[in-house]
Amino acid sequence: MGNWERLVWNQRHLLLDGLVVTVEICLIAFAAAILGGLVLCLVRLYVRPLRQVAIALIEFFRATPIFVQLLWVNYVWPELFGWPGSFFTAGWVALALQSSGYLAETFRAGIEAVPRGQREAGLSAGMSHPLVFRRIVLPQVLLMVAPSLVNQFTVIVKSSTLVSVITVQDLMFQSQKIVNTWLDPIEILTATAAIYILVVFAVSALGKALADLLRRRYGLAAS
Amino acid sequence: MSAALAEALNPAVFWEYRAILLKGLAFNFYVFACAAAAALILGLGAALLRVNRWRALRWAGTLHVEIFRNAPDYVMVVWIHFVLPLLLGLAIGRRLEFPPFLSAVIALGLVYSGYFAETFRAGIQSIPLGQIEAGRACGMPERLILWRVILPQVVRRMLPEAVNQFVSLFKATTIVSLIAVPDLMYQVSMVTQQEMRPLPLYTGAALTYFAIVFLAASLVRAAAERWRQKVYA
Repeated sequence: MGNWERLVWNQRHLLLDGLVVTVEICLIAFAAAILGGLVLCLVRLYVRPLRQVAIALIEFFRATPIFVQLLWVNYVWPELFGWPGSFFTAGWVALALQSSGYLAETFRAGIEAVPRGQREAGLSAGMSHPLVFRRIVLPQVLLMVAPSLVNQFTVIVKSSTLVSVITVQDLMFQSQKIVNTWLDPIEILTATAAIYILVVFAVSALGKALADLLRRRYGLAAS
Repeated sequence: MSAALAEALNPAVFWEYRAILLKGLAFNFYVFACAAAAALILGLGAALLRVNRWRALRWAGTLHVEIFRNAPDYVMVVWIHFVLPLLLGLAIGRRLEFPPFLSAVIALGLVYSGYFAETFRAGIQSIPLGQIEAGRACGMPERLILWRVILPQVVRRMLPEAVNQFVSLFKATTIVSLIAVPDLMYQVSMVTQQEMRPLPLYTGAALTYFAIVFLAASLVRAAAERWRQKVYA
């Protein structure tokens, strides 16, 4: 047990710092992915001239492995666009790109599932297109896709371990730093794996409960 | 920016190193094939545990699924490569090391077995109980019922979901470069260090993976759908 105390418990500040960075990067990436997914999806559905561009971007983001995207954003984008300026930004941008492709398709399925008649009813009651979308379509879509959103967030948490490769100091990075300092990987890597498994498990269990609660409360049967 | 864009899309470096890069890509396919086989077998095993009549075995199946489905694949790859050999070594009292390829296959196989187990289980539980009872009434042994009645229908039903998981698994094979399996990403980093031209190399890698995954996924999805319709009709 000496190693557990020395390598895991006594290093808890490092691990906690790492966990905070992990949480930060995941939340930022998730918010950006929802926003990006919504924009991609709306452009694909309603902006005729840019439709093909949106489809190409969605397919590119979905079909390229996250690790490849991460290195691509990190090494190529700064020269191409002069941005992102930090590893942390590159990390969440890459995580968000991948998920925005998946979420765009999720949102599209949700929007197409809202009956046409509801939209027409809104329009004939004198509501404008954006208002119909905001007040009638979007709330239902968000309830419908809530479980997929939770699922995508767990994917982001799992993929976020890779940002340690570009030296973002997340939980995985701190854990490997401890391994490299003490050269004794058993306890620390096992603890790290356990933390990640518990976090992802908790996120998906709580998220599913929350999604079901919202869906029941606002009139959609639980999945 | 236009100069940078031209550099990023310049295929010359990629073409110059095509032999070594192609060899790297082959490793992605090796890892994918071995891990997919392992994941299917372990996943079926875990699914059968989860629908077993003994509670302890059901729990074991659930534990397997929850651990591996919730584990990030990079963490799993690192754990299997750096910790598992040490633990096994302690158990048998000898120093042990896994070749990176083996670690990659075990780790990805385990992680994806968690996903496949859930797909198998959903398929198995969608088979009406009456069919199993009918099999028993005809005097078929349990194993025969599994192979002749349940699995053929399960495989057809889980196909679309399974294709998605195969796609994810192939995409996940890119991370094995981090434990020095010489796959395409590994070779790209090596060549980048030598040539100091990350733009065309990383862009080329991204486009290569995109083309492969996009084409393969579209083809396999279309083929799976056709086969399903033919068999159902």
